[in-house]
Amino acid sequence: MKTAVRYLLLVVVSVWTLAPVAWMVSLSFKGPTEWYAPYLIPNQPIIDNYVSLFIPTNPIGGSFFFTSITEPITRPLINSLIAAGLGTLLAVMVGFLAAYGVSRYRAGGTFIIFFTLLTRMLPGATFVAPLMVFYASIGFIDTYAALILLYAAVTLTYAIWLMKGFIDEIPPEWEEAALLEGASPWTVLRKVTIPLTKGGLAASALFIFILNWSEFLFALVISVTEVTTLPVQISKYVSAVGRMYGTMASVGLVATIPSLLLGYMIQKHLVTGFTFGRIR
Amino acid sequence: MMKTTNRLTQWVGKTESFKKLSTLPLSLVLNFVLIVPFAIMIFLSFTRWEPLSGYDWWHAPIAGIPRFVEAFGDARLLWALIRTTIFVAVVLPVEFLLGLGMALLFLGDFRGKKGFTSVILYPMMMPWVVVGLGFYLMFQFFGPVNLLLLRPLLGEGAVIDWFTNPVLAFVVVIIADVWQWTPLMFLIIYAGLAAVPKRLIEAAEVLGASSVRILRTVRLPLIKSLVVVALIIRALEAFKVFDIVYIMTGGGPGVNSTEVISLYVYNLAIVYHNTSYACAVSLLIMIAIALVTRLAIRPLEVRAE
Repeated sequence: MKTAVRYLLLVVVSVWTLAPVAWMVSLSFKGPTEWYAPYLIPNQPIIDNYVSLFIPTNPIGGSFFFTSITEPITRPLINSLIAAGLGTLLAVMVGFLAAYGVSRYRAGGTFIIFFTLLTRMLPGATFVAPLMVFYASIGFIDTYAALILLYAAVTLTYAIWLMKGFIDEIPPEWEEAALLEGASPWTVLRKVTIPLTKGGLAASALFIFILNWSEFLFALVISVTEVTTLPVQISKYVSAVGRMYGTMASVGLVATIPSLLLGYMIQKHLVTGFTFGRIR
Repeated sequence: MMKTTNRLTQWVGKTESFKKLSTLPLSLVLNFVLIVPFAIMIFLSFTRWEPLSGYDWWHAPIAGIPRFVEAFGDARLLWALIRTTIFVAVVLPVEFLLGLGMALLFLGDFRGKKGFTSVILYPMMMPWVVVGLGFYLMFQFFGPVNLLLLRPLLGEGAVIDWFTNPVLAFVVVIIADVWQWTPLMFLIIYAGLAAVPKRLIEAAEVLGASSVRILRTVRLPLIKSLVVVALIIRALEAFKVFDIVYIMTGGGPGVNSTEVISLYVYNLAIVYHNTSYACAVSLLIMIAIALVTRLAIRPLEVRAE
């Protein structure tokens, strides 16, 4: 009896968790005539919704739609990959160095600890106005450089704390031994620390990539036409003239697939990541 | 030339200089995205300037103090603040209780535990924008919530136009946030509960305590500090809510019935081009948060050591 109740509740929780995505998957394979129909399995499954993401003029389920979306998602997809990828690289490199300094040499003192945490606590929106002013005066609007810098800045806190945790796990004696042998701190970093934390570094990088991939506010502000990212393009689909539910669902799913793939790869580090290494 | 490079490499190779150099890139990045904008923010919040003013921002005339005074008399700001506070105050206990319930559900061994865990934790990996989109689609007038849940349960007339009702639109935003972040609460609480030593539970059982009593007097007190940290981090994150609101309601329906604080500041800066006022409001919000953080960060620092 008790097991029956437990499984019943487990099923309820799973349905609640799966429902929105299941509905999106369903919509994305439905034609326009079925978008308003209350069932999951499409009568006539089609892939037109996905095709129309790449060829906007493509008819969906035989009928043409007039919307404000004229661009294929290829460009936003590539932009997202570039910005999130390079932003991650920057955050990991800068973050690793800082994390190592904080962990081994107490570099920066408590100031760094407070400051990096504070940047996480402040809403990104409060930086929008001055950032726009600043970046407009140095010609940074609508550039990859701005996106990459902002992405890195937003995720640096996560990078530092996550990687500090991994570095803390290595016994410092190993590095001290190398230092006593006369190696410079840089050689120790390259030959001892990095090889030992490789797994942790990879997990941190993937976690940060997921965050950068989802970043919306700064991408929305910085991009005009050139560096539109995938989340920004999704928001354009939502506000587009003509409600194309199926297409909206398919673009959302395309953006979700990389996050879930990478997310499940680093499943056991997720909690540590989201709590800045406070809980592991 | 040769000599200077040698001296430089020597300096770089020393432990003391390594300590300085290790955080140098960090300060460079922070300067570029944080410190300089922060300085601009402080300057502009004392001025009256818009991008259409016709002169560069560094020529902006000083406006005395009225920008901050304006903010104190700004009803829309006050409402955005109240709305965000309500959002945090609702989302936090709901996520905690649901997470606790799920954690209790998962305690102990049963078949398919790993599978169910994997299913439950994916929402927090999803892009926020897509979460907003998903719930936007779910709660459409001809969406599944109306047609598959409300109509069969409550009858033909029970369909609701969620996004035209100010209160219900806000409820949908809350549901979306709860959906996405309950898994994190669940994982944290579960990890804490699973780490409670078995002998404590057994001892309590031997003494004849009911499972509810064990939960209240043994398990929960032991994971208290963990829960506090989780709640603080979650509260500060929830206060920043922007993406899902922007996607689902854009602040509407009506004038601004679901406008949260981040969205209001964004609107001031980007939509209304009221740059210097946006700076003043941002600065006030930052000061408020810095004060709260200073208090909230203490339990975090204790755990950091």
